[in-house]
Amino acid sequence: MSMTTEAVLGRKARWANIRRETGRALAAALIALSVAFVIILLTSKAPLEAFNVLLTAPISRPRTIGLWIDDVAKLTITGLAFSLVFQARQFSMGVQGQVYVGGLAAAYVALSPIGATWLAIPVGVLCAMIAGGFYGFIPGIAKAKLGANEIVSSLMLNYIALELCNYLVRTQLVPPGSGVLTTNDFPATAVFPALVAGTRIDIGLIFAIVAVLAVWFALYRTAWGLKLRLVGHNAQFAEYSGIRSTVIMVSAMTVAGALGGLLGAMFVQGQSFGKLTILFEGGLAFEGILVAIVARSRPLAVPVVALFYGYLRQGAQLMNIRTDVPAEVIGLVTAIIILLVASSFSIPGRKVFARILGRNATPSAVMEGGK
Amino acid sequence: MIELFMTVFSATFFVTVIRTSTPLLLATLGGLIADLSGALNVALEGMMLVGCLTAVIVSVFAPWYIAVLAAIAAGALLGAVIAFFHLRLKADIILVGFAINIFAAGGTVFALTLATGGDKGTSINLPSKAIPALDLSFLGVIPGIGHTLVQFLSGHSILSWVAAFLVFAIWYFLYRTPWGLWLRGVGEYPAAPEAAGIPVNAIRTWSLLVSGGLAALGGAQLAMFNYVGFTRDMTAGRGFIALGAVLLGARHPVGALLAALLFGVFEALAVVMPGLFNWIPPELIRMIPFVITLLALTLFSYRALRARQLRTLSKI
Repeated sequence: MSMTTEAVLGRKARWANIRRETGRALAAALIALSVAFVIILLTSKAPLEAFNVLLTAPISRPRTIGLWIDDVAKLTITGLAFSLVFQARQFSMGVQGQVYVGGLAAAYVALSPIGATWLAIPVGVLCAMIAGGFYGFIPGIAKAKLGANEIVSSLMLNYIALELCNYLVRTQLVPPGSGVLTTNDFPATAVFPALVAGTRIDIGLIFAIVAVLAVWFALYRTAWGLKLRLVGHNAQFAEYSGIRSTVIMVSAMTVAGALGGLLGAMFVQGQSFGKLTILFEGGLAFEGILVAIVARSRPLAVPVVALFYGYLRQGAQLMNIRTDVPAEVIGLVTAIIILLVASSFSIPGRKVFARILGRNATPSAVMEGGK
Repeated sequence: MIELFMTVFSATFFVTVIRTSTPLLLATLGGLIADLSGALNVALEGMMLVGCLTAVIVSVFAPWYIAVLAAIAAGALLGAVIAFFHLRLKADIILVGFAINIFAAGGTVFALTLATGGDKGTSINLPSKAIPALDLSFLGVIPGIGHTLVQFLSGHSILSWVAAFLVFAIWYFLYRTPWGLWLRGVGEYPAAPEAAGIPVNAIRTWSLLVSGGLAALGGAQLAMFNYVGFTRDMTAGRGFIALGAVLLGARHPVGALLAALLFGVFEALAVVMPGLFNWIPPELIRMIPFVITLLALTLFSYRALRARQLRTLSKI
């Protein structure tokens, strides 16, 4: 046995694994979409048109493509944040709060004298990441030192950050007496330059790509990443082999928090806003759960999933505007996909189906198993 | 300050506290049952929300108690979904729980749109009913304390009394019946009951069903007594606060009652404080329950940690 055969075998196994996972994810998406189709069919006056909008509208115009890509960049970042936390086998749900504190920090930088200089973007992004990292650190350290359940504490921190943002915007950041809950537009130097003129595609997309590569490198090519994955795999074993698992957990949650803060800066400094509005995040941060689950917390798979899910998400928004079907139908699709992907639903049906159709029927076999 | 004291120690404030605590208490009891059986139910929020909407929509067509029963059934159904995906299909229960929450957040708005014919925000144009308050004004004939008794005890939702009874019933069930022992055993160390022939998965399934039913009952109280009608995301984090209250209440029914009352007090304060202190910003008042949960959770975890350390030390 030489090294090469082993490498070939490993590669083969990996490809088989990727094929299987992709098949499962696609099958889950298909099942969820067919459920959505049935619901639309039962509720809409023009179901085919609504479904057509859902599936084709995002690529219909450059503007909608821009909306889609902007969503993909943001979903990628939140998906990465959840992936890091999930890989360390933590269930911190704090990305939403990190986005708000990150957005606040970026807004303070942008509205300060620094905002009018070329430093606005680097300093704004950096401050947002520090604020978000700190906000991710709190539930981490509370868990490590006190054993406080990180799900509950991170969720509480989300609500606190949201109210804090509402409060600061109303009392400090909005010019007095204006009555709106939106700050003035940031100076042009503080807004991410667009990559494609006239769309929302801005350098946030580059941040997202860099973040994917950085997280992949950190997880799979550094000692820290190896320790993190070991801790996630079996914290006790990691502890026995001399890894201080609490340090790793807290650092993973802090880095994920910094990603959440970056997402906050991408929101308020991006082409989409260029100012701070209350409730600017609109629930997107939580959708990183779906992205991370479907991507199996693998950083390189996250943008692929974000590409698909962002498309669906934009389709639903446009369907909401153009037809009588509300965008909330996407919530049902999301829930079904999470349920199917998180469970081992492919195992019972595959053999039966393979026997009926012969081999190579994996995706449809997976579907059969889910029903 | 005097005004605050006058308000806090008045009968009206007490009634408000009971009103705000009831949904929380019901959800906390639901969380407790699931937690003791070893299944952390993070879907309380979604179950409450679905309970709210089911109660409101059914109450348009049926008497209030049918609406409440329908809400319980809807919550139990969600519990069954969790049980199916977690126990049968081996999905992670926290992920399944969040899927339920996402489903509930979107699904309730979607269903509301259908039920109201296009209104995405509220059920204001649905003629829904309320849960009646229990009138105990006959206590007023008792000489001396009769008037005070009526002030404090009369006018609570029927479900508040049900919730108080449930605290006792669940305590009795958990600590005085064999099934309660099984349930706690399954949560503590599933391998032992498994070996003793106790159906672990069946017990977890039942706990999740009951958990969902209780959370949805809390939702029914919220949408048919505290407010009459449904608005999108009207639970506003109460399910997650209930999750904190389970841990804060030392995973005991009486503790759950106390924790729910604590949060009820702060929620009631948030209701009365803007009138008394208009210089305190409303955002900060709304923040109070979450800050309290966070602090209480941290302090309680610290105490539990210390207790564990002390036990270990005494063994050495």
